[in-house]
Amino acid sequence: MSARLEVRLVKRLPDFTLDVAWTADGGVAALFGPSGAGKTLTLQCMAGLLRPDAGHIVVDGRVLFDAAAGMDVPPQARRVGYVFQGYALFPHLTVADNVGFGLRGRPQPARARRVAEVIERLGLAGLERRYPRELSGGQRQRVALGRALAIDPALLLLDEPLSALDAPLRQTLRNELRGVLGEWGTAAVVVTHDFTEAYRLGDRIVVYDGGRVVQSAPRAELLWQPASESVARIMGIPNVLHGTVVKATPDRIQLRWRGQSLEAVNSPTRSYLPPPGAPIAFFIRPEYVRLIRKDRVVADPRHHMNLMRGEVVLDEDFGTTWTLRIRLDEPGPPAQGAWDLEVEVPHLVYEILDIERDRRWEFSIHRGSIHVLPA
Amino acid sequence: MTAETLSALTLSLRVAVLATLANAVVGIPLAYVLARHRFRGRALVDLLVTLPLVLPPTVTGYYLIVLLGRRGWLGAPLYAATGWSIAFTWYAAVVAATIMALPLLVRTARAAIDSVDRDLEKAAHTLGRSEWRTALEVTLPLARNGILAGLVLAFARALGEFGATLMLAGNIPGRTATVPLAIYTAVQTGEEQAALILVALLTALSCVVLVVADRLGARAA
Repeated sequence: MSARLEVRLVKRLPDFTLDVAWTADGGVAALFGPSGAGKTLTLQCMAGLLRPDAGHIVVDGRVLFDAAAGMDVPPQARRVGYVFQGYALFPHLTVADNVGFGLRGRPQPARARRVAEVIERLGLAGLERRYPRELSGGQRQRVALGRALAIDPALLLLDEPLSALDAPLRQTLRNELRGVLGEWGTAAVVVTHDFTEAYRLGDRIVVYDGGRVVQSAPRAELLWQPASESVARIMGIPNVLHGTVVKATPDRIQLRWRGQSLEAVNSPTRSYLPPPGAPIAFFIRPEYVRLIRKDRVVADPRHHMNLMRGEVVLDEDFGTTWTLRIRLDEPGPPAQGAWDLEVEVPHLVYEILDIERDRRWEFSIHRGSIHVLPA
Repeated sequence: MTAETLSALTLSLRVAVLATLANAVVGIPLAYVLARHRFRGRALVDLLVTLPLVLPPTVTGYYLIVLLGRRGWLGAPLYAATGWSIAFTWYAAVVAATIMALPLLVRTARAAIDSVDRDLEKAAHTLGRSEWRTALEVTLPLARNGILAGLVLAFARALGEFGATLMLAGNIPGRTATVPLAIYTAVQTGEEQAALILVALLTALSCVVLVVADRLGARAA
């Protein structure tokens, strides 16, 4: 089966060039990346609000734009629902009129039925005659969704749908939005600069940077196998480090870093085999570093993989977890400013191990938790 | 109140109402186009519309004579064809008032249209509305108070127009002498009471207009 969504766009602006290509198989595609990476520009091109210089846009086999063929369906005829950042509800119209705005061509009874149905399904019953300014943030989001979904769109576009909300509401509405997207089953593209949001909402994540796509992958794959160091940095992954390859085989990579010899799992699917002596980037997830308890003696010290020693130079309380910054017992400048590694421990562990007073630790990292990043 | 005072008053109201209507017909589309479109000559159109706001009214009046007078660029062919000229008729007073009031409406309405969130228009486009329907259903209703405030200001400006009207329409009692011109004549000829009545009327009207425009402006914000 061919992809339901096929996007290839070139758009040159005075100080920015968008040049992207990606596909998605239905479900939700999350366009993720820093602000100014070209995500919203992509949405506007897909909706027909902006004309690309080259490329094509195909939704379920229907060509919306094809520069080579001179094809450009106007936004009015694309049947693409757009949920704007800040929602762009019509302030002079009631909830019912906002939801029904796109149904003008239909006969009045059909229109009223559809509006009632959408309002019911989105839990907006009783608010039909309110104006947008009289609604809460969550209700506004649902009206914006309802207005876009009422036209039964072939594709739904959402631009930073949660950025207008404050933190506690954000989380609730993220789940609610995921529910609505799943329930309606409309193919959707969500723009976000928040990785958690991209991960929660997207089945596929398309990573944008500087007007280009740096990786497009199912969300789980992206989480564990960022395609490059720059993708890892855009995702905000801590502990992105640089070492030297000692030996690489299809399933293991030996590397040296800060005087340590580390063993990492290579990904057979990628068959990344850098030569010995080559520089290599890798990352260690802070929540996968194990502190070794001093009150338990292990028969064989080799039991612990990638064993290191160091001192906690800084710790920060994040409510449910503590973030520790550890400096290795090695000469030379630490890898990340004043420390080498960021380690995350649950509150309970922090208390049991009495890390507040006891600052020197041995710790180990399973080879499966050291992820190499192809150059 | 003398017959002349009364005729000045009815003439002024007629001129101001017609000039305001003309402003609505010409000025609102002009404000929309200037606010929402980039085209060649836009800066020039903007300049021409705004110029009467800063030029001495007599200078604007002079240009109107050059354009519409019996020997003017448009006036001469018209006179040759019909034997009629707009100069020194009350229509000339309407034209002068319209041109003088236009920048007030266009600038106010344009600012109001500019402040309408463009995402609302884009939303309307994705929901099937043409640009024309979007302007009618979204942009102009949301800019309504600003546009109304602009029309009220235009009406006030038209009511008080003096210089350009004098140049193009003259000061013919009972025919082209609007209230401001009648006041001038009354003061010149020493008819103090007539002057006083007209001055008081114009002042009161202007106060009403300002209050209304202010309220509309406050609601627009």
